[in-house]
Amino acid sequence: MTRTIVGPFNRVEGDLEVALEIEDGIIARAEVSTTLYRGFEQILVGRPGLDALVIAPRICGICSVSQSLATAQALRAAMGIEPAPNGALSAKIVHAVENMADHLSHFYLFFMPDFARADYEGRAWFASVQPRFKAVEGKAMGPMLQSRAQLMQVMGLLAGKWPHSLAFQPGGTTQSVDLGGRMRLSSLLAGFRGFLESTLFGVELETILALSSRQQLEAFVEGPGAGGDFAGFVRAALDVGLDRMGGFKGPCLSYGAYDGLFPAGLSDGAFALESITEDVSHAWLAGEPQSPALGETRPDAYKPGGYSWAKAPRLEGRAVEVGALARQVIARDPLISDLVATAHGSTVFARIVARVLELAKVQVAAEQWVEQFQLKHSFCLPSPPLDDGVGHGLVEAARGALGHWLTVKAGKIQRYQIIAPTTWNFSPRDQSGQPGPLEQALAGLEVGAAGAKSPLVQHVVRSFDPCMVCTAH
Amino acid sequence: MAAIETFYDVIRRQGISRRSFTKFCSLTAASLGLGAAGASKMAHALETKPRVPVIWMHGLECTCCSESFIRSAHPLVKDVVLSMISLDYDDTIMAAAGHQAEEILAETKAKYKGQYILAVEGNPPLNEDGMFCIDGGKPFVEKLKWMAEDASAIIAWGACASWGCVQAAKPNPTQATPIDKVIRNKPIIKVPGCPPIAEVMTGVVTFITTFGRLPDLDRQGRPKMFYSQRIHDKCYRRPHFDAGQFVEHWDDESARKGYCLYKMGCKGPTTYNACSTVRWNGGVSFPIQSGHGCIGCSEEGFWDKGTFYDRLTNIKQFGVEKNADEVGGTAATVVGAAVAAHAAVSAVKRVTEGKSSETKND
Repeated sequence: MTRTIVGPFNRVEGDLEVALEIEDGIIARAEVSTTLYRGFEQILVGRPGLDALVIAPRICGICSVSQSLATAQALRAAMGIEPAPNGALSAKIVHAVENMADHLSHFYLFFMPDFARADYEGRAWFASVQPRFKAVEGKAMGPMLQSRAQLMQVMGLLAGKWPHSLAFQPGGTTQSVDLGGRMRLSSLLAGFRGFLESTLFGVELETILALSSRQQLEAFVEGPGAGGDFAGFVRAALDVGLDRMGGFKGPCLSYGAYDGLFPAGLSDGAFALESITEDVSHAWLAGEPQSPALGETRPDAYKPGGYSWAKAPRLEGRAVEVGALARQVIARDPLISDLVATAHGSTVFARIVARVLELAKVQVAAEQWVEQFQLKHSFCLPSPPLDDGVGHGLVEAARGALGHWLTVKAGKIQRYQIIAPTTWNFSPRDQSGQPGPLEQALAGLEVGAAGAKSPLVQHVVRSFDPCMVCTAH
Repeated sequence: MAAIETFYDVIRRQGISRRSFTKFCSLTAASLGLGAAGASKMAHALETKPRVPVIWMHGLECTCCSESFIRSAHPLVKDVVLSMISLDYDDTIMAAAGHQAEEILAETKAKYKGQYILAVEGNPPLNEDGMFCIDGGKPFVEKLKWMAEDASAIIAWGACASWGCVQAAKPNPTQATPIDKVIRNKPIIKVPGCPPIAEVMTGVVTFITTFGRLPDLDRQGRPKMFYSQRIHDKCYRRPHFDAGQFVEHWDDESARKGYCLYKMGCKGPTTYNACSTVRWNGGVSFPIQSGHGCIGCSEEGFWDKGTFYDRLTNIKQFGVEKNADEVGGTAATVVGAAVAAHAAVSAVKRVTEGKSSETKND
């Protein structure tokens, strides 16, 4: 038995360490450690409710819109108001763009470069994948970053700036859209579709959306889609066996996204928000398991038995997986359902396919949304002063279910608790000893003689698209 | 990596044309305010000087600076800055991981002793002996000090590295501390903002790596070329401020007309940054253009100056007797007077309050 610490991890956002116990080339036990903590939940207390709109999104520079929307939703609930439909629509488009940009950078900058490692030299696909995806130098990076930057002009048009946009308010968005703005939005989205079709997929998006089984997917990558970067991924991933690795057998959770485009739910039953608790038994935090609506955050840097700054969220006491895969499982997407059914659970492969598939789904939907603005109507309704109130905001960030829980008393924030997607996926053990989803996904992984240096470890970790700054915040 | 390799050698090897290179030089020179002569100086330097290694480290942060950076609108930035100016080490995008990554740091530190630029995103937390940000088994503050020892200069990216940012907001649970409070014996250039504008970041990196020195800095250590302008003075809504025309509610009639956001809490009058000229996301917009006030995210302590939605009370724009409410109601008749009063008050303030926010950059 050897114990190795893998980390610091690169090409993830923030700091991550994973301690692995390896026995006869198989991972026996994994401990996932979030090593960065800033104390947002402490900092927010005592401030005026609306100031959360500025402070809370700064938890994360990558999914700041998701954070902003969760804050605005929580404030809205506490105020008892509804947003202007135009504002909600505008926010939905910005959110979609952020999530798409995230999926794209995960695929090109974070996940694919692992296939360019020297470990894979000599594989049939290596000669075509390596020049495109080698970290920093790969030929695919430039055009991708440029298309992504162009798409993100949408953020400028609808939210002023990104990351850390300010336009999102409880009553809607401060930015209204005029006819010219709407045309620019359409043309920016059309440009992004061009990139997806020419470079990522090699076919029209509608062809991707029609894939409904693994068999069709395999035929696609050897047929019409053979020239796209997605096909490069599928070939490499299946050859390496990522369709059998990194599985998590527990349930999937989604809070639901884009007004029902992706529904809310739990993969194996009904889901009640009240059944969410956060456990700190293995975190460097003091306290007992508690609902986020009543939670607290008290650092205890030298707590015995602690190995992470992250809390362990549990649903009815169970670890759950969140993310694009969870969303598509709950949306009963035929292709993803087939991948999960054949593998008897989630896998590295299914997680990446779900993410890439969402790019096509969300792009097609967003093109429709742009047409729905009622240009002469308001984008932001007045909101009442917030003296006392309780509310929560639930959104689907690119990486999965994100929740903010807020209590305001006498005009000041009395409690603010956040459960980010990677808090779910990369949670440490709870008081019953139940490991978090990544810890479970790593256990049993056959790494062979390479041990912790096996690229398979990297694939499994990165398949969740971790965001470590969100995780402990 | 040969020691005499120049920037131009690298980009030629990557298949970038001479034409693109020249265009990059003139555009960058223009954005840095160097003029036409600057472009050829830049081209010459990039062709002849060895490229400067850049090490990019992340402390306690949210990665918004990196996100801003990789989204730069410049068509060549992905080639020029991401790979060619040699981002030899960057946690977020690099290939190496774990000990291999640490070895790159040690190698660069030894091989380019006194030559490399250390770019820092985020800052070190000092409470609990640095336990709030552990990187490679050690507190980030140790890694920072170790790499700073042999750096020629340090770039403090963003509000975190420059000032502390929201993670240093009261009660600052981790004692998040800006770089210049930890590293005191190296030239430090602060590029504040949460995040800084992409074009400002690439401009700063390009200037330093091209000319081998820091650009001119103001008294707070910020590059003058980007931080000498007050948002308020270059704001396209400024005429409405002077005319006493203000937005009262988000997206109200006045908002649709593009009136001034001062009453909605805009901090443009006390903020120095290039947002109102360079703008964001490819020059498309900036917060004020989106109908929301500026929060002053490039200013020291912006996070603890009272609520973001209260108007500034420390500027007297309409003379001693008037406030925005009174002037707004009778705007039509007092426009001229308000403009005159504003100019006069500004002039007096400049003379009398040498260290006020209005003049700190002079």
